[in-house]
Amino acid sequence: MKILVADDSRVMRQIVIRTLRQAGYDDHDIVEAEDGADALAKVSSEKPDLVLSDWNMPNMTGMECLQALRSSGSAVPFGFVTSEGSPEMREKAADAGALFLIAKPFTEDTFKEHLDGVIA
Amino acid sequence: MSFGDTGERRRASDGPLLISGLIDEETVRSIAQEAWSALVGECEFLVPQPGELPADPVSAWVEVVGPWTGAVVLTCGRSTAEQLSRELLKEHAPSVLDDEDIEDGLGELANVVGGNVKAVLPGPSVLGLPEVGTAPQARADTVRADLLWRGQSLTISVQGSAGALTDPHENHENEVPL
Repeated sequence: MKILVADDSRVMRQIVIRTLRQAGYDDHDIVEAEDGADALAKVSSEKPDLVLSDWNMPNMTGMECLQALRSSGSAVPFGFVTSEGSPEMREKAADAGALFLIAKPFTEDTFKEHLDGVIA
Repeated sequence: MSFGDTGERRRASDGPLLISGLIDEETVRSIAQEAWSALVGECEFLVPQPGELPADPVSAWVEVVGPWTGAVVLTCGRSTAEQLSRELLKEHAPSVLDDEDIEDGLGELANVVGGNVKAVLPGPSVLGLPEVGTAPQARADTVRADLLWRGQSLTISVQGSAGALTDPHENHENEVPL
């Protein structure tokens, strides 16, 4: 399985990748994207099985990326990993077609809770 | 055309929301502690105790724009910021951290704390991207948590863009509105 991790912070991308490993998802290919536009391009070129994306990013937000993916007909499973976890944001994420929203700070248990069943 | 608006409602809600009525120091510390435990390390504690910031402080902040508008600012010494970024990166930390890594790490901590502070403030509001540098000037409308991490001073202030202190010596020409 290939997982695309999109965050404009290199430090946060490393934390997400480490937490995936700690949660037991350690035998998957990881691809990194540094903003929404990069993520959109890499969904096309890398064909990931899952996208884990920050919301607030320069160039193109995670939400804009998700909307562009769905508009282009892509049904790639997509989840947000973001510092904002209000009910309003969760509703917006679900309405746009996201499977889940993991709020920062997160733990390996939070990842397991949302990703079990999504990651084979 | 007249809307028959007496202006009474406007006057009643004219005053800006003050942060001191929306969040307290202990809530700020608690939000920061949760971020530290999850991201820096399970046994990393923020002790509520004022300390002295070193002469070379660095700040990272995110802006919140909504019913309450202001910034959530994390300030510590350069060396503390470097140690924090090293802990965030753990085994991926290079032997020598460059400025970009340090700013990225501190900015991401400010982003996580800011996002969770925003969640307890009245909405809807928008969170900005993290910025790093010299902190925006603190105003009268500020709630500040003075903390120690591994004995090193660190402050987190939630500072509104309203309620500026009147200082006749302040150079307003360089002021950037939040």
